[in-house]
Amino acid sequence: MTPQAMLDPTHTLSEDTFYLNMGPQHPSTHGVLRLLLRLSGERILECDPVLGYSHRGQEHIAQNKTYLQFLPYPGRMDYLSALMFNHAHCLAVEKAAGIAVPERAEYIRVICAELNRISSHLLWLGAYLMDLGAFTPFLYCFDDREDIMDLLLPVTGSRLTYCYSRFGGVAKDIDETFVTGLRAFIKKLRGRLKDYDKLVNKNVIFINRTRDVGVISADMARAYGLTGPCLRGSGVAYDVRRAEPYSVYPEFAFEIPVRSGGDCLDRYMVRFLEMEQSLRIIEQALDRLPQGPVAPAKPVRVVKVPAGDYHCVYESARGQVGIYLVSDGGKNPYRMKWRVPSFSNLSVLPKLLVNTLVADTIAILGSVDVVMPEIDR
Amino acid sequence: MSEFTRYLGRIASGAASLVSGMEVTIRYMFKPVVTVRYPRLRLDIPEGFRGPVELVTDPETGDHNCSACGTCARVCPSGVISVQGGKKKAAGQDGEGAKAPEDPFVITDSFIIDFSRCSLCGLCVESCPRKALRFSHMYEQCGTSRQVAVVDLVARQKALAAVGCEPAASRPGPQQQAAA
Ligand code: SF4
Ligand code: SF4
Repeated sequence: MTPQAMLDPTHTLSEDTFYLNMGPQHPSTHGVLRLLLRLSGERILECDPVLGYSHRGQEHIAQNKTYLQFLPYPGRMDYLSALMFNHAHCLAVEKAAGIAVPERAEYIRVICAELNRISSHLLWLGAYLMDLGAFTPFLYCFDDREDIMDLLLPVTGSRLTYCYSRFGGVAKDIDETFVTGLRAFIKKLRGRLKDYDKLVNKNVIFINRTRDVGVISADMARAYGLTGPCLRGSGVAYDVRRAEPYSVYPEFAFEIPVRSGGDCLDRYMVRFLEMEQSLRIIEQALDRLPQGPVAPAKPVRVVKVPAGDYHCVYESARGQVGIYLVSDGGKNPYRMKWRVPSFSNLSVLPKLLVNTLVADTIAILGSVDVVMPEIDR
Repeated sequence: MSEFTRYLGRIASGAASLVSGMEVTIRYMFKPVVTVRYPRLRLDIPEGFRGPVELVTDPETGDHNCSACGTCARVCPSGVISVQGGKKKAAGQDGEGAKAPEDPFVITDSFIIDFSRCSLCGLCVESCPRKALRFSHMYEQCGTSRQVAVVDLVARQKALAAVGCEPAASRPGPQQQAAA
């Protein structure tokens, strides 16, 4: 049922059902999602997510900016994986325009993207556990995330909305301090992951709140176009980094964590295990980091994309990002369609929330891990 | 009976998970504090930090190197830069401040940037042919109106030079001073 129909005064409610609006607290907060719930007591009969509060028309902006000028925008879609979206945009344009990227730059991009994936998962981990009522892990997660930001800050210049990749390379080379700092961080995070394991993964309250809650079957996940940890938590081993490798990913050995249950706990575990795999990728990339330039000798300012259609896929922290680029040979993209993972992942909610309890809504919504500005664009 | 055993089992496993969780917490009680008592203490801002864009002061001339070519204004995705200037003097003719003598020396009248809409992407800094721009290390940006974010960098540089000081964030914080 649409929200309009729900609010229709002629629409009759039976005596024991009522509507509840869940969020947003304020239109200027982050993560503005409104869930319109029809309840019978504590039980959810119907759920309708209302989107669009942070719509900025990013795809339209793309049409009005040159390729170069659109660089900072993708990072504002999924602000938690800004480096990855930035990387994806560059890959798409480079593929379309045939711009070569030095190997070292590609390695650096992958290192930074994987660091960004870890920081995104850490933030999710902390926030999710806080939603479930555990405050302590949040502080540890933010401490580790702070380390990542301290590492990335001198290199990328920002803490959250990075704009680091350039067409044909990256904005700044990494130095010895970054490499040694990163190696120390990998060691530290491995120890921390063990602590999280003790603090959270074995915690009875946490397990009881997430196990067998919000089960997504593999078929349902496929039908709704879920990607990322949500899909892998349902037993489908699909990761763009393996299925359609891009960048230098084919050179690294890493596993794709898969869980078969499809409940909140499995989605949690997939993300948890992914952090270790990202650390492995970073380690290998650091070991094999080639020497050489990180950007073309002459910076690419004006991009000439031959007329035609181009498509590029990318695995962000939340799933598959798809960029469909149509060029008419001009300075600006003719159309740039972004397929973002959170939108499809969110679309499963109305189905998933039916017949669950209000208290579980938070556990389920959090486990799907949506980033609203990415959906609203 | 079996119901009761399970009940006891649940209590035992709950207690065990509590103990293993508390073990982590207690261990961290004896580790060093990771937070900084801001604003009394501040962290050092690393070299590559991107704060609001500012004009580089040339140590030789004490002035900026901008020649009002407008490249930065054209490349800026948010369109927040506006540079005004005209060809004032030909090269060599009292071309004080001109980097390359063959350049016609242009006096930049104003370099206005609306920082509230700047995305700190770095494109202006990278595209400036005269390396006249850089990122400052200011990070405490707040104001009571949108207008305070609109700054004429040329005027500000002149005003600061007149009193012989640098923008606020270039000063070291107490922690840096303590370390020095
Ligand atoms: S700052 Fe640089 S790019 Fe901008 S107008 Fe001045 S010289 Fe030109
Ligand atoms: S950093 Fe980017 S948005 Fe800010 S003024 Fe420079 S070009 Fe414009």
